[in-house]
Amino acid sequence: MIAALKQFADRFLGRGEATITVPSFDGALKPNQILEQAETVATFEAPEDLAACGGALYIADGPLLRRLVGDSATLVRRFDRPITALCGLPDGGLAVALDGHEVQLLLKPSASGPALSFTDSSLNAVNALAPGPQGTLLATDGSTARPTRHWVRDLMERGRTGRVWQLDIARHRVSLIADGLHYAFGVAAFGDELLVSESWRHRLIAIAQDGRRRAVLDHLPVYPSRLQPAEAGGFWLTAFTARTQLVEFVLREAAYRRRMMKEIDPEFWIAPKLRSGFSFLEPMQGAHIKTMGVIKPWAPPRSYGLIIRLDDRGVPLYALHSRVDGVNHGIVAAVELDGALYALAKGPGRLLRLPLAAIEQELRA
Amino acid sequence: MSDIALALRNATKLYAGVPAIEAVDFELHRGEIHALVGENGAGKSTLTKVMAGVVALTSGTMQVNGRDAAPRTPLEARHLGIAMVFQENSLVPTMTVAQNLFLGQERFYNRLRGIYIAAQQFLQSLNFDVTPTATVGMLGAAKKQMVEIARAVLHDAKVIIFDEPTATLTPEEKKYFFDLVRDLKRRGVSIVFISHALEEALDLADRITILRDGKHVVTDDAVNFDRARIIQAMVGRDLSNTLYGARKNSVRPAGARVLTVQNLKMAPMVKNNSLSVFAGQITGVFGLVGAGRTETFKIVAGVLKRDFFHGGEVILHDRPVRYLVPAPAVRDGIAYITEDRKVEGFFETMSVARNIYLGLLAKMPGGRFLLSPREADQLGKSWVEKLRVRVTGNAMKVVELSGGNQQKVVIAKSLVQDPDLIIFDEPTRGVDVGAIVEIHDLIQSLADQGKAVVVISSYLPEVMALSDRILVARQGKVVEEFSALEATEEKIMYAAVH
Repeated sequence: MIAALKQFADRFLGRGEATITVPSFDGALKPNQILEQAETVATFEAPEDLAACGGALYIADGPLLRRLVGDSATLVRRFDRPITALCGLPDGGLAVALDGHEVQLLLKPSASGPALSFTDSSLNAVNALAPGPQGTLLATDGSTARPTRHWVRDLMERGRTGRVWQLDIARHRVSLIADGLHYAFGVAAFGDELLVSESWRHRLIAIAQDGRRRAVLDHLPVYPSRLQPAEAGGFWLTAFTARTQLVEFVLREAAYRRRMMKEIDPEFWIAPKLRSGFSFLEPMQGAHIKTMGVIKPWAPPRSYGLIIRLDDRGVPLYALHSRVDGVNHGIVAAVELDGALYALAKGPGRLLRLPLAAIEQELRA
Repeated sequence: MSDIALALRNATKLYAGVPAIEAVDFELHRGEIHALVGENGAGKSTLTKVMAGVVALTSGTMQVNGRDAAPRTPLEARHLGIAMVFQENSLVPTMTVAQNLFLGQERFYNRLRGIYIAAQQFLQSLNFDVTPTATVGMLGAAKKQMVEIARAVLHDAKVIIFDEPTATLTPEEKKYFFDLVRDLKRRGVSIVFISHALEEALDLADRITILRDGKHVVTDDAVNFDRARIIQAMVGRDLSNTLYGARKNSVRPAGARVLTVQNLKMAPMVKNNSLSVFAGQITGVFGLVGAGRTETFKIVAGVLKRDFFHGGEVILHDRPVRYLVPAPAVRDGIAYITEDRKVEGFFETMSVARNIYLGLLAKMPGGRFLLSPREADQLGKSWVEKLRVRVTGNAMKVVELSGGNQQKVVIAKSLVQDPDLIIFDEPTRGVDVGAIVEIHDLIQSLADQGKAVVVISSYLPEVMALSDRILVARQGKVVEEFSALEATEEKIMYAAVH
């Protein structure tokens, strides 16, 4: 009763859980246009993830596994289902998640068939893979209720069924490390702990071996996704879109959300998007108005592109942005290779390349 | 008629046997702008108070227009054609601007409408954007200063003394003020002005007099001075490299995020303001008067309250907080060092040690039942040594200290609480250059210790000299962020104005 009254008061006064606020992009997250100005290496139909393996870059493009050769991508192999996650293994192999339900291990990317396959019925929306401790493989499973392609619906339903799995390759066993996460999307080894992106709570958490959780990076102004270790130590964290007060407001209004999901085409929901600006039917927030045909870069974003460089403690060092007026939005993967940072902008389907030395010099000076 | 409008010969003023000024010779030429420069406690205010009839000389003489004069009250000085615009406001807060302007000039029958019309015309002629019907207590510091200046001009004074006239003015208002002073000069009015902003003295004055420890050091034409020479004469040593020195070539990396302000609102001053503050860094906050900087951080520290409905969020160490009074903020490790030290910073009739002890008590839940004078004395002594507060004894009252030393007491009062987040609001306003260097060193050392430090300042060289990152506020919210490495005065000012 008291909780209900408190909830009512919070909603009325706009405080507590009902606070509709968004952190600003400042400090290490200070906006720039580096990601927008990045070189486009190639474009794909349905890109999903990147992996560096044996000195080459592999791209998951729908059910196709492609390899970047020079500035063009060649087909390596075709799967029967879309690839939802990709990861290079220390022994030169490749791990592939198929439609979120199955994880296959390939001894080498061009191998004709999988060396090992995990098809545990519990796996539902595997969206990121990473090498784990003692030869294991780590996987994040976004939701038990929705497949990976329905991530927006999971957000609108305020899903909190994300899980982290450990796949024991030697014993061919799947074990649960954590559950009840607000959309787990991205994992990496973090000393004795695991660093996990919890997208719907806009934070990174560290999960200890005994299951204890602590926030490493909280109150992010974005929806964090995959994590990739950086060669110089630390991590690259991608964020597929930014938070807005409008979406925060809609997430608070359960009845409105239910009706929106029932009656409106998902394309036009008031929800985060990987790309925008293609239809006048798209919802916009107050200041998100074109003036003389130009969107202001600081307007509230419907879609956004961001990569955050973290140090080895998880503290942001700098960030690469594609702002509201740009197109390189929906960044879902970033991989370092041969002195360059490759990023996958899922919105426009672009593979981007950024010269690391120049970025470091510019942003860490 | 002599060219000298006002002269002091061998002027000495003793307070309880201690000389505030000693054997000072001073000459003010007709129609000149004369800057009076010196550290806090150098005797500038005393010298001008003698001229304005606020205090009388212990020995020495004063001449006005070649005739001996010894005004014993400000009214007598005004009759001699001398008016003073005080650093501390001397307006009546419950009266309107127009009533304050004409205070002391009332006739038997005063038509209020007539006063308002006359005041309106007069303020417009000075280019001052102040409403004559507004109650003075409701005005901001800058507008109060404008009314003070307007009153002096209205009284048709032949000598006008300004004590720190530009401390509360925005750059645009300063420009108007400088134009006004030059206009007064053209009309034959002699101006004496005290300023700690040395650029103003160099820019505006015809001649500069420098005082040190109550004694006259040098008087010369302004063209013969540069910044380094003034500072050297003021403090007796070369500080030019340590004060607002060379451009920064490195900044401290950001540590953990200590404070996040999200969509904070407090009508009409703070409008949807969002910012972050990081450990181990100095975050400078620049903005013109009315940009909502002070109000934002006063909300953070519980001094002011955000809007009741949808007022936004303050997150301290990843925990949402909302302080209705400062005490819980102090306990959570937030120290707000006020810009208005005389009103909010200390109890002026209490000793330095007791003031610092009060800072410690503020951190204890419910205070303390039994107070320990011994603990207070020990605490006071250690902080007086640590911050090099110049006192004659532990029992010395704060009111007896110079501005710089008072500021150090205010800082000590907060640092004794061992805060994680320290917010300095105009830390060196009304502080002499020697103390500025010491306060700046202290602020730097706090950031080096890993504390999250915020410096709110209207003085651009100070923001640039201290900050690792600079936030620029305009119209109630932060509109731009610069790294100290990329910031220039032009960029910051452009962001603050446009």
